Amino acid sequence: MARNPAQRRYMRRMIALSLAYIATVMLASWLIPDDAAATPLTVAIALVPALATSGFIWAMARYIAELKDEYVRMLEIRKMLVATGLTLALASGWGILELFTNVPRVQLFYVFPVWCLGLAVGSLVNKVTIGDAGPCA
Amino acid sequence: MKNRLKVLRAERDWSQGDLAERLEVSRQSVNAIETGKYDPSLPLAFRIADLFGLPIEEIFLKD
Repeated sequence: MARNPAQRRYMRRMIALSLAYIATVMLASWLIPDDAAATPLTVAIALVPALATSGFIWAMARYIAELKDEYVRMLEIRKMLVATGLTLALASGWGILELFTNVPRVQLFYVFPVWCLGLAVGSLVNKVTIGDAGPCA
Repeated sequence: MKNRLKVLRAERDWSQGDLAERLEVSRQSVNAIETGKYDPSLPLAFRIADLFGLPIEEIFLKD
């Protein structure tokens, strides 16, 4: 499917933010020694890549707001709802397991990637229930 | 909701792509509305009605 202007802007923003994320993660890894104490300086440096991940969320919000095609917007929002539901279910389920058993501890860092994988599940749900997966933006 | 979009489009010899272009939506949207998989919002329904020069109730019908 041809990309609409909102999708093109979204892709440009995500590419720029991804490059910023990779660069800031590399910089933080270089500046902060392994097992460093949480001082104001190390925390400040470590939080710089989080600005880029917050940027991903901003780019997704802009994408939804800028989408003029209401049907495509509905497909995208359904994908996000499925992803959010799956992530909350997995995170709370695993959290309860961690409370009561000695299952491996999962770092909170993985919540966002799991949500993104949930978008793919959302596409599948759209395909099965409506017949349209939605754009792969 | 049922609709007469396919018939109205055929009368004008428009493809789904032609109608999508006129409505400034994706062909995917036109197909979803035409097949009854998606009911358009009131503003989009008015745009469709304006395009065909018909009242909304002559395009979209109660089930």
